[in-house]
Amino acid sequence: MFCRNQTARATVARGSALEMEIRRGKFRKSVFLDTSQDSDIQKKIDHEIRMRDGACKLLAACSQKDQALEAAKSLQTCSTRIMAYMSELQRMKEAQVMQKVTRRSSDAGPMDDRLPCKGKVAISDLRIPLMWKDTEYFKNKGELHRCAVFCLLQLGGEIFDTDMVIVDRTLTDICFDNTIVFNEASPGFEMRVELYSCCSEDDYSAGSTPRKLASKLSSSLGRSAGKKFRAAMEPGPCSPVSNGGATPLLLPVPSVPGPKYHLLAHTTMSLSHVQDSFRTHDLTISGNEECSYWLPLYGSMCCRLAAQPRCMTQQMMSGCLKVKQLGGDPQSWTKVYAVLKGTSLFCYHRQEDVEANVEPAFTIAINKETRIRASEKDPQSKVQNICISNQYGGEEVTHTLTTDSREDTHRWMEAFWQHFYDMSQWKQCCDDLMKIELPSPRKPAPLTPKQGSLYHEMVIESSDDLSSTVSDILARRMQELELRSQLGTSPTWMSLFEENNPKSACRPRPCTSRLSGHSPCTPHRLPRSPASPHRCPQLSLLSSDASLTSDSDSHCSTSPCFHRHGWPEPSPNFSLLSSSPSRLRPRTLSLDAKLSTLQGRGYRGGGTLQCLCQSPPSLLHGPLPVSSRSPRSQRSTQTTLSCSSSTSSNSSSNSEGRHSPESSDGAPFSRPSPARRSLRNLRARLDPRNWLQSQV
Amino acid sequence: MSNFIPGQPLIAVVLRIEIKKLRQGDNLILGFSIGGGIDQDPGQNPFSDDKTDKGIYVTRITPGGPAEEADLRMGDKIMQVNGYDMTMMTHDQARKRLTKKNEDVVRLLVTRKSLEEAVKHSMGSYPRQ
Repeated sequence: MFCRNQTARATVARGSALEMEIRRGKFRKSVFLDTSQDSDIQKKIDHEIRMRDGACKLLAACSQKDQALEAAKSLQTCSTRIMAYMSELQRMKEAQVMQKVTRRSSDAGPMDDRLPCKGKVAISDLRIPLMWKDTEYFKNKGELHRCAVFCLLQLGGEIFDTDMVIVDRTLTDICFDNTIVFNEASPGFEMRVELYSCCSEDDYSAGSTPRKLASKLSSSLGRSAGKKFRAAMEPGPCSPVSNGGATPLLLPVPSVPGPKYHLLAHTTMSLSHVQDSFRTHDLTISGNEECSYWLPLYGSMCCRLAAQPRCMTQQMMSGCLKVKQLGGDPQSWTKVYAVLKGTSLFCYHRQEDVEANVEPAFTIAINKETRIRASEKDPQSKVQNICISNQYGGEEVTHTLTTDSREDTHRWMEAFWQHFYDMSQWKQCCDDLMKIELPSPRKPAPLTPKQGSLYHEMVIESSDDLSSTVSDILARRMQELELRSQLGTSPTWMSLFEENNPKSACRPRPCTSRLSGHSPCTPHRLPRSPASPHRCPQLSLLSSDASLTSDSDSHCSTSPCFHRHGWPEPSPNFSLLSSSPSRLRPRTLSLDAKLSTLQGRGYRGGGTLQCLCQSPPSLLHGPLPVSSRSPRSQRSTQTTLSCSSSTSSNSSSNSEGRHSPESSDGAPFSRPSPARRSLRNLRARLDPRNWLQSQV
Repeated sequence: MSNFIPGQPLIAVVLRIEIKKLRQGDNLILGFSIGGGIDQDPGQNPFSDDKTDKGIYVTRITPGGPAEEADLRMGDKIMQVNGYDMTMMTHDQARKRLTKKNEDVVRLLVTRKSLEEAVKHSMGSYPRQ
């Protein structure tokens, strides 16, 4: 508010929007006094104008579609903000002028009008369903008609925009993930939600001109067009010249080449729409099918609109009181430090308890059903008491408060009245505190598509491919553990591993890559044991990180080497399978290589010695327990076909296999012949219905 | 067999069992059978409490074999073999880890329900995961 006895001169920046307005005679400078609010708005306007100019320049300069769309979005937002600020400025000026007038004419009466407290209003999870024609939706040919959309949300003087979303006929809803929080909302707020869209297919010419014409225009710039563009490039004050003096506000949207957003739909939300859950609201759609920016909206919008009035989140009043419960001992006044917040009056023993987050001594509910009145003056202390009555269950409980002085009592009563007024104004928002999640600090919006291709997902999911990262992690862990190792002497079995190294070197299958791969393998194994708690009694508590260690094993057991060497001859030396050139394998396998490793693994199953089904009959329920190999090996058509077509022969051959080891009691550990084994194993493994058991 | 959430650290009461492999010609025998694995159907595991547990379980002990001597029991869940974790293994991987030619001894960490009960009773309040 301005003070009449202070003469302050407003400083108006040269070339600013305000200066232009003054020059055009819209505002008299004498009206301008340097109130802080005015200069705030002025600064905001100037800031937005600069942003707008920057966006224009960026738009003219950028070549990529995404950048152009983002820049056009910023342009639209800035223009809207400027418009809002200017109108607010004007309103303030008018209010000031009115006040000047009214103050002269009438006495300022008692300020009876209470103002309700402000609050935070947040809108989140905006979703706008689309209604594509089924023919369009399933169309596979033809170009995809895409539009870039975003929402502008305006409440009071604050305008926010959501991120931009590209919409085409593969989407069923437009979803905006942003949470927008408005901080200074009064209960009578009106939030305007506007959906802007822009077709993102055309060449970027001014407006939606047909393509041929557009290309012609963009390549040649006539004199008048050139003048317009140049004018648009320059900052604010020049642009009104091109606009003529008709508009009261400084608002030409400079016509720059590039995408332009159009209003597609809008709606207004107010306190009645606030709820702690998702609700659907109607949209008013502007535009029709002929427009380039058209999207078939269903006509409604879902969102979560929550409000947190200040009276629910902040302490409205606090101070020392004496409380007595009605019906209790007339002398039993309890001294408390009371805090009025939300729907209760929290009474703490001491003031320090509030910060210390200690539970209050007791809590008195202050809600819509509470009745508060001032009682008659206490004859001794000459101070009015305040009586608070609540209905707890069926009973009425009354607490009496008293303070040390009349002023305090008056202040508390005032606070209660204000609180009740706030609650009556904010209505359903005061029943319970609605949660508002503050948006986390924004990361720069990634321009890359959010969904990776399925190809990438497949590769990453497989446990095999993490092997090299895992081997790196293990190498690091090993070093760590070696430093930390408490072992004086290594356990006796560790010598086994050292001894085995030369053994592995003379494997019948010379594969240099494998050998080099094997030695890094073994050191990895060493730290595993020191890692686990050792030198302990038998019962020990173990923590293991399941996913990590299993991968360390997998890289030892699978290998694309098999692909290179073709079909491995079935040999009893199944431990061949355990080494792998982990270091030489690339980090991510191509899909082809992956399929071939799976194929190799499938074939390798034929080379193993393990037979199945030495399980006791009691465990057998249904078909014989056999495993399923990964169904992803599509290449091995031979094996899958054989599996699906001959399940009966599967079981019969399996039963053969089962009986033969069991019949030979003398050698319960003998194994069937390799040939039958391979086929049977393969079929057995590929049958997903069974639970494989292997003898070791 | 406490509740197992894949990817989360697991705490279990385990028993150490050391099995010396028996050499039979060219083969090294442990003398038990395993079932289970992340590629298997866990609902068919008769030994697990939690029918979504895809761990490796001992399904049979060959009488007189090395596993029986080492006091491995049917129904035990194998948590680690020679330091390698077995809770997230395919069946084949598990089998291979147990049957490595160059290892004469396997040191298993196994868990069984009776263990957990015993600990629970002896400790009173057992911090279950």
